[in-house]
Amino acid sequence: MIPLFAILEVHGRRPVTLWLPLFLLWLLLLPIVLVLLPFELFVLLFARIDGWRALPALWNVLAGLRGTHVEISTPQRQIFIHVH
Amino acid sequence: MSEHRRQILEMLSVGKITADEAERLIAALEKDAPSGGAPVAANGPAPKYLRVMVEQEKDRDGDTLAKTVNIRVPLQLLRAGVRLASLVPPQARHSVDAALKEKGVPFDLSQLKPENIEELIAQLKDVSIDADDAKGRKVKVRVFCE
Repeated sequence: MIPLFAILEVHGRRPVTLWLPLFLLWLLLLPIVLVLLPFELFVLLFARIDGWRALPALWNVLAGLRGTHVEISTPQRQIFIHVH
Repeated sequence: MSEHRRQILEMLSVGKITADEAERLIAALEKDAPSGGAPVAANGPAPKYLRVMVEQEKDRDGDTLAKTVNIRVPLQLLRAGVRLASLVPPQARHSVDAALKEKGVPFDLSQLKPENIEELIAQLKDVSIDADDAKGRKVKVRVFCE
């Protein structure tokens, strides 16, 4: 399952917590991908990439992002990114 | 029969690897298996994440606090990335290999296969690297699967 949202937290002098609805991003990208489909097919043919393998591979990369967690702590601030 | 050995034989049966490759993988498993121990998969649930932790100690004067980086990446992402890399066109792959070689990394992208990642995950228990940064501070890097 592709990630649906991400949480970005910045702790420091000005703490910030952002809840990023990635599902909206996918919904926004979907019509763009469909409109550019002929161009994408041309690129796949030109680069000799098997589209039937590329699409599931790309989907698996996106789905694999779920559970990614990044923490960076410095003396000034701490940054947390978590992808759900 | 261990889980890893079974996976190797399954890959051989479906033709994903050759007999030579299967033999090398099994030999590597036997060579690195701890005495009296069990394969990682048999010790509990299979690892799901790759974690990289970087810790930098404080400055000698104590003014600067330590910096830490903690990254957890799902192993599914790594596996999917390797499969995606196998779709890279040959001409692009040659360019990437040449660029890596220029930087002093003699890596062949075409040799990166999904079973390589599985073998790496099986062997990666806890890798710890101690280094010094440009200012002489100790930096510890830990890479492990959990």
